[in-house]
Amino acid sequence: MAAIDIDHIVKKYGDGFPAVNDVSIDVQDGEFMILVGPSGCGKSTLLRMIVGLEDITSGDMVIGGKRVNGLAPRDRNLAMVFQNYALYPHLTVYENIAFPLRLAGNLSESEIDTRVREASKTLELDEHLQRKPGNLSGGQRQRVAMGRAIVREADAFLFDEPLSNLDAKLRGQMRTEISRLQKRLGITTVYVTHDQTEAMTLGDRVAVLKRGLLQQLATPRELYENPGNLFVAGFIGSPPMNFLPATVEGTSVKLPFGSVEVPQDKAAKAAGKGLLMAGIRPEHFEDATVKADRAPGSTFKAKVDVVEWLGNETYAYIPFEAPPEVEKQLRQLEQDLDGESMHTQLVVSLDGASRISEGQEAEIWVDGSKIHLFDPATGENLTVDRDNAGRIPETAKEAEPASA
Amino acid sequence: MNRGRTILGTWAGFLVILVWCLLPVVWILSLSFKGPDETAAGSPHFLPETWTLQNYKDIFNDGDFLDALRNSFGIAIIATALSVVFATLAAYAIARLEFKGKRAVLSLALAIAMFPVVSLVGPLFDMWRTFHLFNTWPGLIIPYMSFTLPLAIWTLSAFFREIPWEMEQAAQVDGATSWQAFRKVIVPLAAPGVFTAAILTFFFAWNEFVLAISLTSTTSSRTVPAQMSFFVGPDPFNPPYGQLATASVVVTVPIILIVLLFQRKIVAGLTSGAVKG
Repeated sequence: MAAIDIDHIVKKYGDGFPAVNDVSIDVQDGEFMILVGPSGCGKSTLLRMIVGLEDITSGDMVIGGKRVNGLAPRDRNLAMVFQNYALYPHLTVYENIAFPLRLAGNLSESEIDTRVREASKTLELDEHLQRKPGNLSGGQRQRVAMGRAIVREADAFLFDEPLSNLDAKLRGQMRTEISRLQKRLGITTVYVTHDQTEAMTLGDRVAVLKRGLLQQLATPRELYENPGNLFVAGFIGSPPMNFLPATVEGTSVKLPFGSVEVPQDKAAKAAGKGLLMAGIRPEHFEDATVKADRAPGSTFKAKVDVVEWLGNETYAYIPFEAPPEVEKQLRQLEQDLDGESMHTQLVVSLDGASRISEGQEAEIWVDGSKIHLFDPATGENLTVDRDNAGRIPETAKEAEPASA
Repeated sequence: MNRGRTILGTWAGFLVILVWCLLPVVWILSLSFKGPDETAAGSPHFLPETWTLQNYKDIFNDGDFLDALRNSFGIAIIATALSVVFATLAAYAIARLEFKGKRAVLSLALAIAMFPVVSLVGPLFDMWRTFHLFNTWPGLIIPYMSFTLPLAIWTLSAFFREIPWEMEQAAQVDGATSWQAFRKVIVPLAAPGVFTAAILTFFFAWNEFVLAISLTSTTSSRTVPAQMSFFVGPDPFNPPYGQLATASVVVTVPIILIVLLFQRKIVAGLTSGAVKG
């Protein structure tokens, strides 16, 4: 058990490109920390620096109060689950799990046996102990990899996208399993993923990274409700937040579809900034005909392009034209998020009872109090509630390429 | 109808290849059981008319042949062991480490493999005489090892490259030193490669003739292929074919045994299940 203190860590490769740039994250003892971001954001590199498979260019890596920058992986007492599991194919499941114990060299055969059996019981691997990894299914291999990690009583667990090779159903099950295991063992865990669902559901806190820079470090709820910038807002949540060009006049925000009333304090923060970017989550819209109590919001009429009915809810897509400067920013954001959306469109999540059909002119209600307003040049969230947004480093703002 | 023809074709092809490859072997085997009268006969039969074990008795009572057999085993085994150990270490470095002159090492290894052995006989003969290595075991072990190293290095580095990096990294995180990771994870996974390299090296050392005849002068270090050229018999116009065939059979048996023993080890796909996919 140990806290992991990542202090101003920089990783530069031979060509001088900073894969990880001045990242500071404090992982508390027993905490489940998620490193999340699109591919190439440096999350895996950061994890590999924690475990010692990658050299640190500058900064301090402190585990359990001890600086470990110069220590070999074997001296850090960490357990890691690799993306492709990295099981030893020539050893049985039993020997795979016992491998780290045998290397330790100071345990008796009976003690090793006890601990391997305990781990295998926890992970329900008892009936597979004498099989070779090649004969196991993906989920079973995953469990063996975890068994090898938990058998060791390491200071911390490190997971490198452990579920990305599993199919959707198994992924969901294993996610719960990992969460349960971590809660039970109460061990410090750092978990790398590119999947925002895993980040939201597993983490005590989540560190969002983009191109080697920390964007925001906060609890999942804080990230969702108070994203620090455009990138975090677009990354967290599915379907993603809608971004619309907006201008503020008094307490009303002018959007392509009409005006929406916003609370006084939000409007004040964004006053006089010219063209802004408004961020509204899909679920903050509703079909006005279904919404009974629509007191604090505004309504507008728009032509619905595509409707996806999912039973419990309905997604409706409303295309809009964005001015060129906003369009450029949206394209850039889309690229940062690994996305490939072709159209600027509004995605709204409506009640499953909604009868809106494709091509229809619909009346949509929107909750103005939930709108975020972003500065299109820096990507900064102007309306963020800083007391409930975790930590938003200054570097996150600069990272946003000004109209790049 | 079509399927029947395919099966027929398969068996016909199989038979042709079998006859092509095994007929000479069977001929030698049959010769080894023939007496001297039969081998000298003008139009010999394929199978012996009277089966005799006399050739085998003669061969195993021939002290020179037994010495040669001992030399062959000793030299081939030592050369193979050294070659495989060096090749494993070199191939691992080539496959895993970035160092200056990596390409040079690989090309040099290839260059050595391309050298015709015959062209080196003269220089080696002179050198070995000066170094007092002429007509000694090391005098044959060193060239055999050198000539088989390139092939062994290339084979093994291909095997090492196939092993996912994560295997080693996982071992290191699990608490292994680099050496432990190499010995407990990488070498067992590369075992098919190691056996392949070992067998190829052993075959080369076992069958080699040119160096064996040129760099030896007595039975203290002469190997079987070289020794066989000294089987002349009492009549120079009538070579002892029976004994030559018998000696050939005797030296072929170990090779067959080795292949049968190790063929199970040379199974590809041992790494399956290590990683997903």
